[in-house]
Amino acid sequence: MKDLKKDPELPPFVKSWQQFYRLLILWLGVLILLFYLFTKYFE
Amino acid sequence: MSNLDWAVLICTLLAIVVYGVYKSRGAQNIQGYLLGNQSMPWYSVCLSVMATQASAITFLSAPGLAYSTGMSFVQFYFGLPLAMIVLCITFVPIFHRLKVYTAYEYLEQRFDLNTRALTALLFLIQRGLSTGITIYAPSIILSTILNINTTYTTIFIGGLVIFYTVYGGTKAVSYTQMLQMTIIFCGLFAAGIVVVHLLPSGVGLGKAISIAGKMGRTNAIDFKFDWNNQYTVWSGLIGGFFLQLSYFGTDQSQVGRYLTGSSVGQSRMGLLMNGLVKIPMQFLILLIGVLVFAFYQYNRPPVFFNSFELNKLQNSSYQPELKQIEAEYADIFKKKQHELQQLETALDQKDQTRVDQQRIVLKEADEQAKSIRKKATDLMLKNDPKADINDNNYIFLSFVTKYLPKGLIGLLIAIIFLASMGSTASALNSLASTSVIDIYKRLINKQATDPQYLNASRWATILWGGVCILMALYASKIGNLIEAVNILGSYIYGTILGVFLVAFYLKKVDGKAVFVAAILTEIAVCVCGYYKVVAYLWLNVIGCLLVVVLSLLLQQILKPVQHKKGQP
Repeated sequence: MKDLKKDPELPPFVKSWQQFYRLLILWLGVLILLFYLFTKYFE
Repeated sequence: MSNLDWAVLICTLLAIVVYGVYKSRGAQNIQGYLLGNQSMPWYSVCLSVMATQASAITFLSAPGLAYSTGMSFVQFYFGLPLAMIVLCITFVPIFHRLKVYTAYEYLEQRFDLNTRALTALLFLIQRGLSTGITIYAPSIILSTILNINTTYTTIFIGGLVIFYTVYGGTKAVSYTQMLQMTIIFCGLFAAGIVVVHLLPSGVGLGKAISIAGKMGRTNAIDFKFDWNNQYTVWSGLIGGFFLQLSYFGTDQSQVGRYLTGSSVGQSRMGLLMNGLVKIPMQFLILLIGVLVFAFYQYNRPPVFFNSFELNKLQNSSYQPELKQIEAEYADIFKKKQHELQQLETALDQKDQTRVDQQRIVLKEADEQAKSIRKKATDLMLKNDPKADINDNNYIFLSFVTKYLPKGLIGLLIAIIFLASMGSTASALNSLASTSVIDIYKRLINKQATDPQYLNASRWATILWGGVCILMALYASKIGNLIEAVNILGSYIYGTILGVFLVAFYLKKVDGKAVFVAAILTEIAVCVCGYYKVVAYLWLNVIGCLLVVVLSLLLQQILKPVQHKKGQP
């Protein structure tokens, strides 16, 4: 993780790479939830 | 295909090839040829890794899979965003810092030459075989359009890709992939709109999905834990995570893509954006397959989607039997249509009891249709024991050529070509770089000059292209292509990932222990896979964990021996 702090480049819209990672995990959770609702609604 | 479609197809292909050649013009050195001078921005890295993974197989097999078995395949990609995060934290900074050409180079620095050579060899076997399948997939297209054997089309496509890759190098691959993915997104979007437009009046997007859902085709999520079920949330999250981590972290065809990033940040950004858009993209591709399924509930599908095999049977002495089968198939379709109308009425009236009843009746009719199709495939085998009786990969293609408007057919076929060219080019480029950097430069000719290595890379690309074409010629005997590629990867990726994880996280383990552990693991994984002990995605987990555990154990066993050796 030391390496991340040294990296001068930051991702857009968020303050750190860790925040971007958390956003991606949240996105995965939202997608699974949406697919679950899709499956249940149309089955 | 109409003249307009041919014009669209040829112009698109030519534009891409000319663009690639233009972008890669001028003198190159080995660094430029294999790493593109590490000058690419994040969006190029993102589109390049997407194009490398999304081969023509993605656009041929995935809608076919959704048509036959539903959308459960989307769960396969659930581990991908998590894998992207681990890659960005661990692999990307290390590879960039060490300025490696290939992922396996790092293993010699960490362990020894044996481990580097073993992993490079495993990669060459796996990628060499699966690239054959990647070349075979688009050759089906020409085969269906021109109604000729896939052997000739495979050789033609393979030859085209070899020319493009040998000339272009990695820079041209990245630039053309950017353009290819843009065209692919536009084309798929247009195809989705047209499929909905082709549905009968009164049947919109919602109703079409609803009907497909009642027939078991919208099964995107399955939370049940089952070791033998290929696609569940758990196999996708855990097994898929290991497979994607191995694929993106240790497969040179992907490592080579994000190593072209101009910095650690640009490579990271490209990978994370891939994690963001890959699952929705795959969902939409599968949804197109579901819509095609709904379309064929109102329009009679052929008894077999591979027109080449069907024509062969029609021109044989079994023609009367085939006509009988087709008549039976037409009857069951009529029955299905009647039941479908009942289902539609029940859906409109929101009568759940009747909906459930109709669902059962329709599923029975679906089974009857499948048994009639089975009769047709049995007859094909009787006529020709070597006949290809799996038509999964022809379903979407057959729909495109028969029902899509002029111009769009050419564009969609161009898309499949482009996708294949992109991923095959990446694969050939990575096979060449691993052969030259990890084998030739390290073991055979250490003192050659830069132009000589560049020349060797070009020859390695040609050689691997030839091998891949040979493999492609045997691919027609393998069932669903997209699954075949993933199954093959699962046999090898887990082991390679295990070696890399030991390298990154178990600093006390040395080269000898990890080398023996990798060989023992590979044997164990092959035995598990051969006897189908678990569903294939779990082989990645078993392989990876086994390497880690065995390395630790062997380190403990081998350490005293080494110590004793050192004693007088």
